[in-house]
Amino acid sequence: MNILLKYSSALAGLALSAQMAVAGPEIVSGPGADPECFAPWSTDTKYLQWEAREGPYRIAVVNGFVGNTWRIQMIKTAKAYAQDSAIKDKIAEFKVVSTGTDAPAQLGAIEDFINQGFDAIITIAVSPDGFDRVIRLADRNDVVLVPFDNVLDTDKVMQVNEDQLAMGKTWAEFLLKELKAQGKTSGKILEVRGLPGNSVDRDRSTGIHEVFDASGGDWEIVQVVGNWDDGTAQKVTADAIAVHGKFDAIAVQGGTTGVVQAMMDAGHPLVPIAGESENGFRKLVAKHAGEGLKGISIGQSPGLVAISMKAAISALEGHPMPQLISVPLPVADYTELEDGKNYWSDLPDNFFTVNEFPPCGVNISGPAIMAESEADVK
Amino acid sequence: MRQAGWKRWLMQNTGFAVALLLLAVLYFAYNLIHPRGFSSAVAIQNANETVAIAFVAMAQTLPVLLGGLDLSVGAVMTLTNCIASELLNGSPLQILLGMVVTLLAGAAFGLANGLIVVYGRIQPIIATLATGAVAIGLALLVRPKPGGDVDEDLSWALTNAVFDFAETYGLADSGNAWWLRPFADIPVPLILLAGVACLVWLPFRRSVTGRTVYAIGSAEGAAFMTGLPIARAKITAFTLGGFLAACGGLYLAIQTSSGNADIQQAGAYTLNSIAAVVLGGTSLLGGVGSAIGSIIGAMILRVISFYFRILDIDPLLQPLIEGLILLIAVSFGAIRTLRVKNQLDLFR
Repeated sequence: MNILLKYSSALAGLALSAQMAVAGPEIVSGPGADPECFAPWSTDTKYLQWEAREGPYRIAVVNGFVGNTWRIQMIKTAKAYAQDSAIKDKIAEFKVVSTGTDAPAQLGAIEDFINQGFDAIITIAVSPDGFDRVIRLADRNDVVLVPFDNVLDTDKVMQVNEDQLAMGKTWAEFLLKELKAQGKTSGKILEVRGLPGNSVDRDRSTGIHEVFDASGGDWEIVQVVGNWDDGTAQKVTADAIAVHGKFDAIAVQGGTTGVVQAMMDAGHPLVPIAGESENGFRKLVAKHAGEGLKGISIGQSPGLVAISMKAAISALEGHPMPQLISVPLPVADYTELEDGKNYWSDLPDNFFTVNEFPPCGVNISGPAIMAESEADVK
Repeated sequence: MRQAGWKRWLMQNTGFAVALLLLAVLYFAYNLIHPRGFSSAVAIQNANETVAIAFVAMAQTLPVLLGGLDLSVGAVMTLTNCIASELLNGSPLQILLGMVVTLLAGAAFGLANGLIVVYGRIQPIIATLATGAVAIGLALLVRPKPGGDVDEDLSWALTNAVFDFAETYGLADSGNAWWLRPFADIPVPLILLAGVACLVWLPFRRSVTGRTVYAIGSAEGAAFMTGLPIARAKITAFTLGGFLAACGGLYLAIQTSSGNADIQQAGAYTLNSIAAVVLGGTSLLGGVGSAIGSIIGAMILRVISFYFRILDIDPLLQPLIEGLILLIAVSFGAIRTLRVKNQLDLFR
């Protein structure tokens, strides 16, 4: 009896260990598929390749926090893109869940989708760490895990983001260009920062400061914290204007509509401004550019989710993919704004305008996202 | 006679029994719908997701039994999570020491809560609102940026089945010993939860101090007149609460192999712990309920959200539906009010 038990348990153990043999992606050399769209972060970025498998695929999006415009728009974009003719036939099942700011719940949801046999899981991580276990499980079950936006501090998974440092630099370069056109080589700059302690806030700010420091001009940069929120940004800008009187230019990480509003309310002269991609900000720049509100608008697009979905499908089809994908910055300055094309006068102010990535074939326009029905997730 | 005893237990623990039944139904149905239902992998995943909130709900039970609320449980969990993320590495002895220090830190914080409530004569809800902020502040000091270095083997062993635990540490023929077979598929996190419940909660409940906690919640004046050790019971209750919250923080660190001083997460855990306590049949008025019920309540809370992953529900409607189901579930606990013979019983 004991012998029988021993054998059966040994067999079971063998079966288990066979199942647990570590799989996951292979590290290969580039170039990857579709380099126009899936650009590697840097020349050191390695490439990952999964074994090709037959579609259609089951894909899940595990969101964390929900409750601001950006996240809601992101979810709507994901649903709209899943219906897009380019990938519709490649998706057998598409699910979206939001777990709130609760790490175990998000990890649990990811693990659950792995258990359910999903092929790819796309996520905005609630924390840059702590995903070791699900990464291990995803590799064992050959599931493609794609964190985007808030990416993880690891090089074991394929991730998608925009270069926040480059964003900060582009903002500062634009402001310097406009200030030079006015003949200014020194002055006072207002910097409205985002959520403290966040890597995105840190990188954007570093980019801004690097460029201003390198310009050689005598710039005094006044920092206030606007939390990427219109209301907060408006209040802190009003305070800063009250204290400092006049700024020569303004760089805003988010909540730009509120900042412009505060500037106008205070009767502050309209100065060059660099900001996010809020529809309200673009509306104001389009209207007042002639009066001096010369703006540049670059956004962290909710459309990143669509690129992540496309990247996941490409990986499932067996193409080599960069481990860290850098999505080109969607930039529009005051000379390029056009109603109905890169901003919409009939959509709300807090709508995020950048959703289209032509090199990726992601072409979901603002109105299409807003029209996305909330009825089904199939 | 025997049947009468059983019936009496049911009468006295209606809330708990309803919660248990609700959990059984919800979880059974979940497994039926899940493509890999009734498998070890699903059980392990579910257990992992539940443990931290279950510990925090247990921690919340004690102040609630006293008739108060502890708004610092989530923050203490976060603080201990950050401490553990610094200490859980090195040799086995160092790891063990790290665990002890983490749990002691939580207990010490609970003790401080208790001392403030008893000798500062401040309402628990206000005292812990303040100390909760202190805990988050300390957590940010310990770990300004998320991260950490928790032993990988430990993390893997404790977040899997008994088999993987034995395999990781080469115990019992690397998990293949015949006597381990019957237990091999049980998730380790469930064993930890059951262990703490049996070794810490049950003895406490049976002790004079534990019973005094119930007496205080029922009628503090009467408890005082009876000569029960009120100050000692309150301080012990808060200390134990801190210890249990630290168990949650410790597990969270092991599960995520990192620490994160996340203010929003701390707040969410505090609120969810109150919901779990109520779901588990503990009265917010104090004196009725148990930490075991709170574990069940935490499980119900989690199972509700499990459903969103297997059913097609619009992502933007999920919070609404979760709230509605929670409301219905809590209402089950209020069924007893329909049967009271004397209106005065409602005030109990």
